[in-house]
Amino acid sequence: MANADTHQRIEVIFRDILDDETLVLRPEMTAGEVENWDSISHIDLMVGVEREFGLRFTTAEVAGLKNVGDLEALVEKKRAASGK
Amino acid sequence: MNFSGFPYLVFLAVAAGIFQGCPGRHRALYLLIVSYLVYCTWSIPGAALLFAVTVLTYAAPVLEERSKRGLTTTIVVVLLGCYLFAFKLALLTPTHGIGGLILPMGISYYTFRLISYVMDVRWGKIERERSFVQFAAYVAFFPQMVAGPIQRADDFFAQLPPKPRELAGAVGRIGWGLTKKLIAADNLGVAVSYVYGHTASLHGAPLWVALYLFPLQLYADFSGLTDIAIGSGLLFGICGPENFDRPFTASSITAYWRRWHMSLTTWLGDYVFTPLRMATRTAGNWGLAFSTSVNMIAIAIWHGLTGGYLVFGLLHAAFLSADVLTGRRRSKFFKKHPKWDRVATLSGWVLTMNMVAVALVYFHAHQITDANQLLAHLWSGSAPGWLDALGTRSLFRGAAAYVVLELCERYRPDIWWAQVRPAAPRWVRWSMASLAMVLGLTGICLLLSASGEHVRFLYEIF
Repeated sequence: MANADTHQRIEVIFRDILDDETLVLRPEMTAGEVENWDSISHIDLMVGVEREFGLRFTTAEVAGLKNVGDLEALVEKKRAASGK
Repeated sequence: MNFSGFPYLVFLAVAAGIFQGCPGRHRALYLLIVSYLVYCTWSIPGAALLFAVTVLTYAAPVLEERSKRGLTTTIVVVLLGCYLFAFKLALLTPTHGIGGLILPMGISYYTFRLISYVMDVRWGKIERERSFVQFAAYVAFFPQMVAGPIQRADDFFAQLPPKPRELAGAVGRIGWGLTKKLIAADNLGVAVSYVYGHTASLHGAPLWVALYLFPLQLYADFSGLTDIAIGSGLLFGICGPENFDRPFTASSITAYWRRWHMSLTTWLGDYVFTPLRMATRTAGNWGLAFSTSVNMIAIAIWHGLTGGYLVFGLLHAAFLSADVLTGRRRSKFFKKHPKWDRVATLSGWVLTMNMVAVALVYFHAHQITDANQLLAHLWSGSAPGWLDALGTRSLFRGAAAYVVLELCERYRPDIWWAQVRPAAPRWVRWSMASLAMVLGLTGICLLLSASGEHVRFLYEIF
């Protein structure tokens, strides 16, 4: 389970990029469940998260994500490693 | 063995019957043997090649684990890409093949499965498969060999050992696919083939008919083939991914590609678009347009190395780039002006259908000049008696069947039945299952007797 700060900041990015102010992220949520979350917007989301947390993802890391929970866990792992 | 031929259906019934009695632990081996038997009816050297690339790909993650350098996967992916590309390229040579072998059956689909497997293992999405039998059964699974759908390894392995599923659902799906193909697609195809065979001498109305009917014919044909593949897979306990989601209801070209040939577009999205887009993400919109264009050109080249397919890909690259680059601005505009939203949806649908239809003219025409001629003569006056020349009876039969097809896919009586079924009395459930089986089998027999000897699917050749 990601901490509230990470979860909230990622949710704001998703709402902005997917253009849905009512979107509430759940850890088990996948792209198929969210309108407008396709392969094009997926990379925009990743870039948004990278900018927000000052991180850099690799293609393998992005390709290996299965749901929102995986993304939050990846962000926490990278934040812990970089101290951001 | 042709999917709409009687021998295939007899073989399918016998093989599925044996599968029902096969012990669970031997079912993957059984699928493997049956799949290779089917492949050998197409080509024995082709089956040997399939086996060779299967062994190579199975070994790749094992070697990668030992070397820890990550090079094996890259080498295998490059080799598989070259293998597919070489056979596609060989079609342009005088012999049309390599060593007497012309484009092995299903080469695109099994190569895509192999590439996705090694990449998914590399990216840590899945564990490498320990059992060679299960892996080889996945790669060679015959219902998905002719034209997909492209099933991912994790989805397939999660269903092993395959368990027998409800027979009525599988037979009904095959019957539905055959109906789409033999009644809707083939009847519409009569007029379409006539027009595309006489582009130089036709003007006006018949060209409009072909312009709008070919997309419908292609959809009924290809989605029918997918239904047969999914239904055949269900007979062996494997549920394949869906390939279509009512593509002609899309109101933008991006939405259209989310609904058309979905197993290919998601495959390309994962293994071509995502790596490219990640590499170009700092280039903003230009990076997005570049990645989208490469993706569409890859789709075009996969269909064949001809000018027509290339124009088809370039047109879609331009349409998609324009759509994705203006998407956010349009979305903001319609949020501010909600009353224009409905107009935009309707005009977006009209525009999308026309873009799809025009691009498909280049997809279907033998030469770019034929396609140009067809489009250039759309506004000329038509010759008298043009409707009779198109084959009025088959045209109306095909159009009526297509309307029924769209209505069934819109209202989905099968989903309604699945919802009310648990509450229905047992005798109603049994009666409905028997009815579905009888209708499916009768339909199959009637269609086969009416369809002539050998019917080819449009997507068999890729």
